[in-house]
Amino acid sequence: MLSERELERYKRQILLFGEEGQEQLKRAHIFVAGAGGLGSPVSLYLAVAGIGAITLVDNDVVELTNLNRQILHYDRDIGRKKTVSAEEKLREINPDITVKVIDTTIDETDVDRLVGRADGIVDAMDNYPTRYLLNETAVRKKIPFFHGAVQGLYGQATTIIPGLTPCLTCIFPTAPPKEVFPVVGVTPGLIGMVQATEVLKYLLHDGRLLTNRLFIWDGLESHAEEIAVERNPACPVCGEISPVKPPARKKK
Amino acid sequence: MTVKIRFFARFRELLGTDILVEKKSGTMLATLVKDIALEKKEGYDAIFDANGNFREFVIVMRNGKRLEPAETATVMVADGDEIAVFPPVAGG
Repeated sequence: MLSERELERYKRQILLFGEEGQEQLKRAHIFVAGAGGLGSPVSLYLAVAGIGAITLVDNDVVELTNLNRQILHYDRDIGRKKTVSAEEKLREINPDITVKVIDTTIDETDVDRLVGRADGIVDAMDNYPTRYLLNETAVRKKIPFFHGAVQGLYGQATTIIPGLTPCLTCIFPTAPPKEVFPVVGVTPGLIGMVQATEVLKYLLHDGRLLTNRLFIWDGLESHAEEIAVERNPACPVCGEISPVKPPARKKK
Repeated sequence: MTVKIRFFARFRELLGTDILVEKKSGTMLATLVKDIALEKKEGYDAIFDANGNFREFVIVMRNGKRLEPAETATVMVADGDEIAVFPPVAGG
Protein backbone atom coordinates (compact mmCIF):
# COMPACT_ATOMS: atom_id res chain seq x y z
CA MET A 1 0.00 0.00 0.00
CA LEU A 2 1.12 3.52 -0.72
CA SER A 3 1.25 5.97 2.17
CA GLU A 4 -0.45 9.36 2.04
CA ARG A 5 2.95 10.86 1.57
CA GLU A 6 3.76 8.55 -1.34
CA LEU A 7 0.43 9.25 -3.00
CA GLU A 8 1.34 12.93 -2.86
CA ARG A 9 4.98 12.49 -3.88
CA TYR A 10 4.12 10.43 -6.95
CA LYS A 11 0.86 12.22 -7.76
CA ARG A 12 1.91 13.41 -11.20
CA GLN A 13 3.14 10.01 -12.37
CA ILE A 14 0.24 8.14 -10.79
CA LEU A 15 -1.71 10.02 -13.46
CA LEU A 16 0.33 7.97 -15.92
CA PHE A 17 0.77 4.62 -14.18
CA GLY A 18 -2.13 4.51 -11.73
CA GLU A 19 -1.74 3.59 -8.06
CA GLU A 20 -1.36 -0.02 -9.05
CA GLY A 21 1.61 0.84 -11.27
CA GLN A 22 3.20 2.89 -8.53
CA GLU A 23 2.83 -0.06 -6.17
CA GLN A 24 4.55 -2.27 -8.73
CA LEU A 25 7.47 0.15 -8.75
CA LYS A 26 7.51 0.17 -4.96
CA ARG A 27 7.71 -3.63 -4.83
CA ALA A 28 10.61 -3.69 -7.32
CA HIS A 29 14.28 -4.18 -6.59
CA ILE A 30 16.78 -2.94 -9.16
CA PHE A 31 20.50 -3.56 -9.14
CA VAL A 32 22.60 -0.70 -10.53
CA ALA A 33 26.17 -1.75 -11.34
CA GLY A 34 28.29 1.38 -11.05
CA ALA A 35 27.85 4.83 -9.51
CA GLY A 36 29.64 6.78 -12.24
CA GLY A 37 28.52 8.57 -15.39
CA LEU A 38 25.60 6.25 -16.19
CA GLY A 39 24.93 5.06 -12.65
CA SER A 40 24.42 8.61 -11.39
CA PRO A 41 21.48 9.65 -13.56
CA VAL A 42 20.02 6.13 -13.62
CA SER A 43 19.95 5.74 -9.83
CA LEU A 44 18.73 9.31 -9.24
CA TYR A 45 15.79 8.91 -11.59
CA LEU A 46 14.93 5.41 -10.42
CA ALA A 47 14.99 6.78 -6.86
CA VAL A 48 12.68 9.71 -7.55
CA ALA A 49 10.36 7.46 -9.56
CA GLY A 50 9.86 5.38 -6.42
CA ILE A 51 11.61 2.10 -7.21
CA GLY A 52 11.20 0.48 -3.79
CA ALA A 53 14.68 -0.96 -3.44
CA ILE A 54 17.85 0.08 -5.22
CA THR A 55 21.17 -1.69 -4.77
CA LEU A 56 24.12 0.32 -6.03
CA VAL A 57 27.61 -1.14 -6.28
CA ASP A 58 30.88 0.70 -6.87
CA ASN A 59 34.43 0.36 -5.59
CA ASP A 60 35.79 3.78 -6.46
CA VAL A 61 36.58 7.01 -4.67
CA VAL A 62 35.22 10.32 -5.99
CA GLU A 63 37.84 12.27 -7.94
CA LEU A 64 37.73 15.79 -9.30
CA THR A 65 37.86 14.46 -12.88
CA ASN A 66 34.58 12.56 -12.25
CA LEU A 67 32.56 15.65 -11.58
CA ASN A 68 31.89 16.72 -15.17
CA ARG A 69 29.44 13.85 -15.48
CA GLN A 70 28.92 11.86 -12.28
CA ILE A 71 26.13 14.03 -10.93
CA LEU A 72 25.56 11.98 -7.78
CA HIS A 73 28.84 13.34 -6.46
CA TYR A 74 29.57 16.93 -5.48
CA ASP A 75 32.76 18.90 -5.07
CA ARG A 76 32.64 18.31 -1.32
CA ASP A 77 32.69 14.54 -1.92
CA ILE A 78 36.17 14.42 -3.46
CA GLY A 79 38.09 11.69 -1.64
CA ARG A 80 34.98 9.97 -0.27
CA LYS A 81 33.83 6.54 -1.40
CA LYS A 82 31.34 6.79 -4.23
CA THR A 83 29.00 4.47 -2.36
CA VAL A 84 28.92 6.77 0.69
CA SER A 85 28.31 9.84 -1.46
CA ALA A 86 25.67 8.07 -3.53
CA GLU A 87 23.79 6.70 -0.54
CA GLU A 88 23.60 10.16 1.02
CA LYS A 89 22.21 11.80 -2.13
CA LEU A 90 19.71 9.06 -2.91
CA ARG A 91 18.39 8.98 0.67
CA GLU A 92 18.01 12.75 0.64
CA ILE A 93 16.30 12.89 -2.70
CA ASN A 94 13.82 10.18 -1.71
CA PRO A 95 13.64 8.94 1.89
CA ASP A 96 10.60 6.82 0.99
CA ILE A 97 12.65 4.13 -0.75
CA THR A 98 15.31 1.67 0.40
CA VAL A 99 18.83 2.26 -0.84
CA LYS A 100 21.57 -0.25 -0.31
CA VAL A 101 25.11 0.52 -1.38
CA ILE A 102 27.95 -1.98 -1.57
CA ASP A 103 31.54 -0.86 -1.78
CA THR A 104 33.17 -3.67 -3.71
CA THR A 105 34.46 -4.81 -7.08
CA ILE A 106 32.02 -6.91 -9.05
CA ASP A 107 33.75 -10.14 -10.02
CA GLU A 108 32.86 -13.77 -10.68
CA THR A 109 33.18 -14.70 -7.01
CA ASP A 110 30.56 -12.28 -5.71
CA VAL A 111 28.32 -11.26 -8.60
CA ASP A 112 25.60 -13.83 -7.83
CA ARG A 113 25.33 -12.80 -4.22
CA LEU A 114 25.51 -9.07 -4.99
CA VAL A 115 22.68 -9.18 -7.51
CA GLY A 116 20.70 -11.42 -5.15
CA ARG A 117 17.01 -11.49 -6.00
CA ALA A 118 16.91 -8.19 -7.87
CA ASP A 119 14.27 -7.86 -10.61
CA GLY A 120 16.76 -6.44 -13.10
CA ILE A 121 20.33 -5.28 -13.61
CA VAL A 122 21.26 -1.87 -14.98
CA ASP A 123 24.59 -1.82 -16.80
CA ALA A 124 26.34 1.34 -15.65
CA MET A 125 29.84 -0.06 -16.04
CA ASP A 126 32.74 1.40 -17.97
CA ASN A 127 34.28 -1.85 -19.20
CA TYR A 128 33.20 -4.93 -21.14
CA PRO A 129 34.67 -7.69 -18.94
CA THR A 130 32.34 -6.68 -16.07
CA ARG A 131 29.49 -6.13 -18.52
CA TYR A 132 29.90 -9.70 -19.80
CA LEU A 133 29.88 -10.99 -16.23
CA LEU A 134 26.67 -9.12 -15.43
CA ASN A 135 25.17 -10.30 -18.72
CA GLU A 136 25.91 -13.94 -17.80
CA THR A 137 24.40 -13.37 -14.38
CA ALA A 138 21.25 -11.87 -15.86
CA VAL A 139 20.95 -14.83 -18.25
CA ARG A 140 21.46 -17.33 -15.42
CA LYS A 141 18.91 -15.61 -13.17
CA LYS A 142 16.57 -14.95 -16.10
CA ILE A 143 16.24 -11.28 -15.27
CA PRO A 144 16.57 -8.34 -17.68
CA PHE A 145 19.83 -6.56 -18.32
CA PHE A 146 19.56 -2.90 -19.31
CA HIS A 147 22.69 -2.16 -21.33
CA GLY A 148 24.13 1.29 -21.91
CA ALA A 149 27.54 2.63 -22.94
CA VAL A 150 28.93 6.01 -23.94
CA GLN A 151 31.93 7.66 -25.48
CA GLY A 152 32.26 11.34 -26.26
CA LEU A 153 28.93 12.41 -27.70
CA TYR A 154 28.03 8.88 -28.78
CA GLY A 155 25.99 6.36 -26.87
CA GLN A 156 24.22 3.05 -27.25
CA ALA A 157 21.57 1.16 -25.30
CA THR A 158 19.52 -2.00 -25.54
CA THR A 159 17.28 -4.07 -23.30
CA ILE A 160 18.20 -7.70 -22.91
CA ILE A 161 15.54 -10.18 -21.80
CA PRO A 162 17.13 -13.64 -21.47
CA GLY A 163 15.45 -16.15 -23.76
CA LEU A 164 13.63 -13.45 -25.69
CA THR A 165 16.35 -11.19 -27.04
CA PRO A 166 20.00 -11.46 -27.94
CA CYS A 167 22.26 -11.17 -24.91
CA LEU A 168 25.24 -8.83 -24.75
CA THR A 169 27.56 -11.55 -26.07
CA CYS A 170 25.27 -12.18 -29.07
CA ILE A 171 25.41 -8.48 -29.94
CA PHE A 172 29.05 -7.80 -29.08
CA PRO A 173 30.97 -11.08 -29.21
CA THR A 174 34.21 -9.12 -28.99
CA ALA A 175 34.78 -6.16 -26.69
CA PRO A 176 36.02 -2.94 -28.21
CA PRO A 177 39.53 -2.00 -27.05
CA LYS A 178 39.90 -0.51 -23.61
CA GLU A 179 40.86 3.15 -23.62
CA VAL A 180 40.48 6.30 -21.58
CA PHE A 181 37.36 7.54 -23.23
CA PRO A 182 36.48 11.19 -23.68
CA VAL A 183 33.05 11.98 -22.30
CA VAL A 184 30.84 14.92 -21.49
CA GLY A 185 28.07 14.54 -18.90
CA VAL A 186 25.17 15.07 -21.27
CA THR A 187 25.85 11.76 -23.05
CA PRO A 188 25.61 9.42 -20.04
CA GLY A 189 22.72 11.65 -18.94
CA LEU A 190 20.86 10.86 -22.13
CA ILE A 191 21.75 7.17 -22.34
CA GLY A 192 21.06 6.75 -18.61
CA MET A 193 17.58 8.15 -19.20
CA VAL A 194 16.99 5.62 -21.96
CA GLN A 195 18.00 2.83 -19.55
CA ALA A 196 15.90 4.19 -16.66
CA THR A 197 12.88 4.56 -18.96
CA GLU A 198 13.32 0.93 -19.99
CA VAL A 199 13.42 -0.18 -16.35
CA LEU A 200 10.13 1.63 -15.63
CA LYS A 201 8.44 0.22 -18.74
CA TYR A 202 9.63 -3.28 -17.90
CA LEU A 203 8.35 -3.09 -14.34
CA LEU A 204 5.05 -1.56 -15.43
CA HIS A 205 4.58 -3.94 -18.40
CA ASP A 206 3.96 -0.86 -20.48
CA GLY A 207 5.01 0.31 -23.92
CA ARG A 208 7.43 -1.35 -26.33
CA LEU A 209 10.79 -2.22 -24.84
CA LEU A 210 14.10 -1.59 -26.58
CA THR A 211 14.38 -5.31 -27.23
CA ASN A 212 16.04 -6.87 -30.29
CA ARG A 213 17.27 -3.43 -31.30
CA LEU A 214 20.33 -1.42 -30.48
CA PHE A 215 19.66 2.27 -29.95
CA ILE A 216 22.53 4.43 -31.18
CA TRP A 217 22.77 8.09 -30.31
CA ASP A 218 25.01 10.52 -32.16
CA GLY A 219 25.00 13.74 -30.17
CA LEU A 220 27.15 15.59 -32.70
CA GLU A 221 24.49 15.09 -35.34
CA SER A 222 21.56 15.01 -32.91
CA HIS A 223 20.60 11.83 -34.63
CA ALA A 224 19.29 8.60 -33.20
CA GLU A 225 19.43 5.36 -35.10
CA GLU A 226 18.45 1.83 -34.27
CA ILE A 227 19.75 -1.36 -35.70
CA ALA A 228 18.04 -4.71 -35.46
CA VAL A 229 19.97 -7.30 -33.45
CA GLU A 230 19.35 -11.02 -33.34
CA ARG A 231 20.05 -13.94 -31.04
CA ASN A 232 23.01 -16.06 -31.93
CA PRO A 233 21.80 -19.68 -31.64
CA ALA A 234 25.42 -20.72 -30.99
CA CYS A 235 25.97 -18.04 -28.34
CA PRO A 236 28.13 -19.50 -25.54
CA VAL A 237 26.15 -17.52 -22.95
CA CYS A 238 22.49 -17.70 -23.95
CA GLY A 239 22.39 -20.19 -26.84
CA GLU A 240 20.98 -22.93 -24.56
CA ILE A 241 18.14 -20.84 -23.15
CA SER A 242 14.83 -21.77 -24.68
CA PRO A 243 12.69 -18.97 -26.01
CA VAL A 244 10.28 -17.38 -23.58
CA LYS A 245 7.02 -15.55 -24.16
CA PRO A 246 7.32 -11.78 -24.21
CA PRO A 247 6.21 -10.15 -20.95
CA ALA A 248 2.50 -9.41 -20.94
CA ARG A 249 1.74 -5.87 -21.95
CA LYS A 250 -0.71 -3.81 -19.98
CA LYS A 251 -4.12 -3.54 -21.62
CA LYS A 252 -5.14 0.01 -22.42
CA MET B 1 25.53 0.19 -59.56
CA THR B 2 25.38 2.49 -56.59
CA VAL B 3 25.94 1.51 -52.97
CA LYS B 4 25.65 3.75 -49.94
CA ILE B 5 28.09 3.47 -47.06
CA ARG B 6 27.20 4.88 -43.68
CA PHE B 7 29.88 5.22 -41.03
CA PHE B 8 28.91 5.91 -37.44
CA ALA B 9 30.48 7.67 -34.47
CA ARG B 10 34.27 7.76 -34.57
CA PHE B 11 34.29 6.15 -38.01
CA ARG B 12 32.11 8.96 -39.31
CA GLU B 13 34.41 11.58 -37.83
CA LEU B 14 37.32 10.02 -39.69
CA LEU B 15 35.70 9.09 -42.97
CA GLY B 16 32.44 10.97 -43.37
CA THR B 17 29.12 9.25 -43.96
CA ASP B 18 26.36 8.60 -46.47
CA ILE B 19 29.02 8.02 -49.10
CA LEU B 20 27.64 6.96 -52.46
CA VAL B 21 29.95 4.63 -54.34
CA GLU B 22 29.73 3.62 -57.99
CA LYS B 23 31.04 0.10 -58.42
CA LYS B 24 30.86 -2.62 -60.97
CA SER B 25 28.71 -5.53 -59.92
CA GLY B 26 30.47 -8.43 -58.26
CA THR B 27 32.32 -6.28 -55.75
CA MET B 28 32.72 -7.87 -52.34
CA LEU B 29 31.46 -5.92 -49.38
CA ALA B 30 34.78 -5.86 -47.53
CA THR B 31 36.59 -4.63 -50.65
CA LEU B 32 34.11 -1.83 -51.10
CA VAL B 33 34.46 -0.57 -47.53
CA LYS B 34 38.22 -0.98 -47.68
CA ASP B 35 38.50 1.16 -50.81
CA ILE B 36 36.62 3.99 -49.17
CA ALA B 37 38.45 3.68 -45.85
CA LEU B 38 41.84 3.74 -47.58
CA GLU B 39 41.27 7.39 -48.36
CA LYS B 40 42.30 8.13 -44.82
CA LYS B 41 44.84 5.95 -43.04
CA GLU B 42 43.52 6.71 -39.58
CA GLY B 43 40.03 5.70 -40.66
CA TYR B 44 41.28 2.52 -42.29
CA ASP B 45 43.30 1.55 -39.20
CA ALA B 46 40.32 2.12 -36.95
CA ILE B 47 38.21 -0.35 -38.92
CA PHE B 48 40.66 -2.91 -40.32
CA ASP B 49 43.47 -4.87 -38.71
CA ALA B 50 46.97 -5.40 -40.07
CA ASN B 51 45.75 -8.32 -42.22
CA GLY B 52 43.08 -6.19 -43.84
CA ASN B 53 40.20 -7.88 -42.00
CA PHE B 54 37.45 -6.01 -40.21
CA ARG B 55 38.47 -5.61 -36.59
CA GLU B 56 36.56 -8.15 -34.51
CA PHE B 57 34.47 -5.64 -32.57
CA VAL B 58 33.31 -3.68 -35.64
CA ILE B 59 29.64 -4.11 -36.48
CA VAL B 60 28.84 -4.36 -40.18
CA MET B 61 25.26 -4.22 -41.38
CA ARG B 62 23.90 -4.66 -44.86
CA ASN B 63 20.40 -3.25 -45.34
CA GLY B 64 19.77 -3.48 -41.61
CA LYS B 65 21.01 -7.04 -41.30
CA ARG B 66 24.13 -7.87 -39.34
CA LEU B 67 27.00 -9.66 -41.08
CA GLU B 68 29.76 -11.63 -39.42
CA PRO B 69 33.15 -10.00 -40.08
CA ALA B 70 34.26 -13.14 -41.96
CA GLU B 71 31.19 -13.08 -44.23
CA THR B 72 32.01 -9.62 -45.54
CA ALA B 73 34.82 -11.00 -47.70
CA THR B 74 32.46 -13.29 -49.59
CA VAL B 75 29.24 -11.26 -49.73
CA MET B 76 28.69 -9.30 -52.94
CA VAL B 77 27.04 -5.92 -52.75
CA ALA B 78 24.05 -5.20 -54.96
CA ASP B 79 22.70 -2.00 -56.47
CA GLY B 80 20.93 0.13 -53.87
CA ASP B 81 22.52 -1.63 -50.89
CA GLU B 82 23.09 0.36 -47.76
CA ILE B 83 26.13 -0.67 -45.74
CA ALA B 84 26.50 0.54 -42.15
CA VAL B 85 29.77 0.28 -40.23
CA PHE B 86 29.62 0.95 -36.54
CA PRO B 87 32.01 0.85 -33.55
CA PRO B 88 30.47 -0.14 -30.22
CA VAL B 89 31.35 2.23 -27.39
CA ALA B 90 32.59 1.13 -23.98
CA GLY B 91 32.46 3.99 -21.49
CA GLY B 92 30.08 4.52 -18.64
